[in-house]
Amino acid sequence: MPVRYRVVHRTEYQYAAEVSASYSQLRMLPRDAPRQRCISAGVVVDPRPDHQREHVDYFGNRVEHVAIQHRHRRLHLTTSSVVEVDEAAGALPLLGDRSWEEVRDSVGVVPGPDAVAAVHFALDSALVRSGPDFAAYAQPSFTPGRSIVEAVCELTSRIHADFEFAPGETKTDTTPEEALKERHGVCQDFAHVGVACLRSLGLPARYVSGYMETDPPPGREKLVGADVSHAWFSVLMPGAGWLDVDPTNDQVVGGRYIVTAYGRDYQDIAPVSGVIYTRGYTKSLRVTVDVTALPAGAA
Amino acid sequence: MLTPSASYRAPPERYDEMLGGDGRPRAHWEHLSGAINALGVDELLRRRAEAERVMEQDGAVYNAYGASARPGQPWRLDVLPAVLSSREWQGIESAVAERAELLGLVLEDLYGPRDLLRRGLLPPEVVFGHDGFLLACDGIRLPGERQLFCVGTDLGRDGSGRWVVIADRAQSPSGFGYALQNRTVVSRVLPSLVRDAGVHRLAPFFRTLRGALRDIAPPGVEDPRVVVLTPGPWNETAFEHAVLSSTLGYPLVEGSDLIAKGDGLWMRSLGALEPVHVVLRRVDGGWCDPLELRRDSQLGVPGLVEATRRGTVSVVNTLGSSILENPALMRFLPAIGRHLLGREPELPCVESWWCGLPAERAHVLERLDQLVLRPITAAAGSKSLFGAQLSQLELEDLRRRIEHRPSAWVAQDPVTLSSVPTLTDAGLLPRRCVLRTFAVAAAGSYAVMPGGLTRVAPDANGGGRISNQEGALSKDTWVLTSEPEREALSFSGPALASLDPMGGLSARAAENLWWLGRYAERAEAVTRLLRVMHDQRSELLGSGGDAGKRALATLGTALGAVTGAASAVPPDTGVLQRTLLVDDHLPGSVAHAVRAMLDAAYGVRDQLSSDTWLVVGSLDRQLLRLRTGGNGGGALSLSDAEARETLQRLMQGLLALGGLGEESMVRDLGWRFLDGGRRLERCLQVIALLRATLARTDGAAADPLVLEAVVASTESIIIYRRRYRAHAQVPDALELLLLDPGNPRSLAFGLDRLTRDLGALPARSDGRLRKDQQLVLRATTALALADHVALAVPDEDGERSGLAALLDELHDLLSRAADALEREQFVHRLPQQNLEGS
Repeated sequence: MPVRYRVVHRTEYQYAAEVSASYSQLRMLPRDAPRQRCISAGVVVDPRPDHQREHVDYFGNRVEHVAIQHRHRRLHLTTSSVVEVDEAAGALPLLGDRSWEEVRDSVGVVPGPDAVAAVHFALDSALVRSGPDFAAYAQPSFTPGRSIVEAVCELTSRIHADFEFAPGETKTDTTPEEALKERHGVCQDFAHVGVACLRSLGLPARYVSGYMETDPPPGREKLVGADVSHAWFSVLMPGAGWLDVDPTNDQVVGGRYIVTAYGRDYQDIAPVSGVIYTRGYTKSLRVTVDVTALPAGAA
Repeated sequence: MLTPSASYRAPPERYDEMLGGDGRPRAHWEHLSGAINALGVDELLRRRAEAERVMEQDGAVYNAYGASARPGQPWRLDVLPAVLSSREWQGIESAVAERAELLGLVLEDLYGPRDLLRRGLLPPEVVFGHDGFLLACDGIRLPGERQLFCVGTDLGRDGSGRWVVIADRAQSPSGFGYALQNRTVVSRVLPSLVRDAGVHRLAPFFRTLRGALRDIAPPGVEDPRVVVLTPGPWNETAFEHAVLSSTLGYPLVEGSDLIAKGDGLWMRSLGALEPVHVVLRRVDGGWCDPLELRRDSQLGVPGLVEATRRGTVSVVNTLGSSILENPALMRFLPAIGRHLLGREPELPCVESWWCGLPAERAHVLERLDQLVLRPITAAAGSKSLFGAQLSQLELEDLRRRIEHRPSAWVAQDPVTLSSVPTLTDAGLLPRRCVLRTFAVAAAGSYAVMPGGLTRVAPDANGGGRISNQEGALSKDTWVLTSEPEREALSFSGPALASLDPMGGLSARAAENLWWLGRYAERAEAVTRLLRVMHDQRSELLGSGGDAGKRALATLGTALGAVTGAASAVPPDTGVLQRTLLVDDHLPGSVAHAVRAMLDAAYGVRDQLSSDTWLVVGSLDRQLLRLRTGGNGGGALSLSDAEARETLQRLMQGLLALGGLGEESMVRDLGWRFLDGGRRLERCLQVIALLRATLARTDGAAADPLVLEAVVASTESIIIYRRRYRAHAQVPDALELLLLDPGNPRSLAFGLDRLTRDLGALPARSDGRLRKDQQLVLRATTALALADHVALAVPDEDGERSGLAALLDELHDLLSRAADALEREQFVHRLPQQNLEGS
């Protein structure tokens, strides 16, 4: 049974000094994905942009190009979208299951619709470089002949168990190497570590950004703005598609997840990226996210 | 005695360009070989020296990476050309065009369907592992069929004399402009040789290039505007960027001159934005847009990729074109050619192996010490490695690097390369050479420059690479004509009539010209004052007595006031003078002003005539001498005579520059800024000088001495003596320096010129005077109302308070006028920062 969610994502920048111009790309609009359909989505930018256009990037993500060419001291971005998610489709793609070595050995060798992507996502990217430390960390889960689904799920559980969720300890440019060494971070770091581990074994892996509906604490009303933008990772099983796993919550990605963008790592799909012209700095950045399940039939 | 050609010995292991297997000149070299013999080595060396002078005059330099000291390395030319027969060239030409065609198809596929990857004709690792493959540019196309606008291909001969491709340059191939410069210089120093040999001219190629750039504009644009985008004056090939800009007649711009606005791209021109439709870029693709490409780039234009995505601007080569420089591509190109063209390309590539394939990796690792190893992407940070030149240890290290990431490495067979007679101090010697050809998409196919740029190894050593970074020489490259060409003899550049004299000036260029004028004048004023003090010092101290000492003290104060450096240096006037001459970190010093002036000049290289470069280059060298100290003992140890000599030489350069500005520049918008800056600065200098010297009296004995120095340092002494004959009087000096409309150094003259210059700048839309014009008008009025006789009368304290008040008022008005103009006309871009993600 498909469920509709409304997502409201607010991002507010306050600048210490006047900004003469701002150019940004927003990857905040949910994309279409195998188990989700974007019903409606839009970004409201304040101050009013001089130029705003949308295009689809290399990975099929929706990108909003925003140029503000007059003086301003703050930037408010509000994305509202309604997304329909098919819960049933979130089941494990057991059909594609096979040994992890088989997947590894097929990369770059076996032709097919996924063949090019398989090579692309197995290669290093700007923020995620494979290395022996990641391979060593992943190895206990990837025993000879083990099923790829089992192995990846166990890796996900181990990251969840071994890493401390520590908001504020890491930044958007923390490397997976640092996260692995410190054994702490946030969803972005865990996803990067997962991707790095898989690539270090020769497996194609990608980084996913999106949202997740959260439950309020038992007996409490859900607070407005309590949700967060989220990130996880997935592995490609050529011919069978991608398996998405969430190391932050130790689960296979299912019905309560909404995908915004796919990329090789965070840098490919940062929700906001761009340049500003100012003598000052960003004084404050506030982000709130609300994910609300809509009653059946509502839009 | 043997003639140069007769004593030339070609090495037996190579194909020699000039000598055939029988040791005799090949047919197409006979003419040149005969001419070389007729001239003799001594004469050729003389011509070489002449060529070096011409290169220097034209400011032809190649800035080696990381070299901070200017001037750059002179562009190195061997005056003896490389010669290709008409017949051989025809083969090269069609093969080079075919290769460009094929590379263009590959480019189109990689940023489109990527069919080559899907079909296994090109391994995806080769594409995705190369930093030139820009995901952001996926799907972006140029209008028209051909997606590769221009390409340079490096060719070398193998042992049998067959040409093979060593590398392709598809980012923004350099060398076009240097090839043209080589031809220009050789034509000047060996004119009859070029004329009699029957050489294909380069001009038609540049005309084709010029038209091709207009033709690549987005469809529907009637009168496309083209710009040449440069990283700036310190780029290693900045000279060439300026040559291209002036040869093609398209403005040279930096990233900060452009702005993406609305759907389109614009140039920040004076007070307005002018549309830009085509960008010939000399900035590497990844650096062109900090929004979508390298975030740390200060050389780009945020929104440029988006503008190309919208199809409102054509950037050539396309931003992702450097993927074609990937050396691994060579390994797969024959098969790709069979697939796309139905045949293997005519030009063979150097034999290559891609280490991503296990069998080829094994082959490479076995022969590591015989191959050339190239990382597929420049991001890996290493150049080609010649196995034969590596130690055992280095080979082991290389082996580990390859095994660690095999798909990142390509190996090539070293190419033997041909030898070509090259002029050295010891006569003609054989040197290895490579030829870079250039092809441009034009009129439904590719036009190939006849010849290209031949580069020659600097010495006889080894088999390493030949590059300008490593001191290679270059040669003009002749393609002999089979029949006389019909076109006119010389390329006169774009028709002037087609260029809008008031258009095409970026705000940055205007700003540079303005400061060029201001700093040139400032340097001149301080130099004059220093020279006068230098000349009169001993006289004032010797025969002047007390009055002389007082006069000297007043002049010392004036020097401090005029330069604004009074508090920064010791009171001893000797040290002050030295410091004010040589310390280029001290604002107000001559060296500082000349340095700032040269920086401004290098920023508008394309705007200045070649004669100007002669002067700029010489000033640059003077400054270098100053900094290092002419006598090697450090700058401050200059002897009096050396200081005087330096001042004199600087003055000559500055005067020549002023004269060129007056006589050799079209009175266009750029000139208005240059002249306006000069006039305004001169007014400010005269005001400051008078304020520091004549606003009070030093007594009847000292006054005439000061007066004489003041008049001398404003270059008005001759007219002053002729006109007034009698002893110097303050009212006369004031009339001469403030009010005389015929004296080019007077305030009245300067304000008049300034008014005219400002009046020629773009007017306000409502027709009212701009702020800067209003302020200059107020200054002109205040000056016109002044009574020089009354101003000259001191009060009982010895102060000329009326004069002081007038000068202060004028100084204030003009400074504010300058501020207003600089604020309104020039671009003030705030620092670029990254917008942090959430």
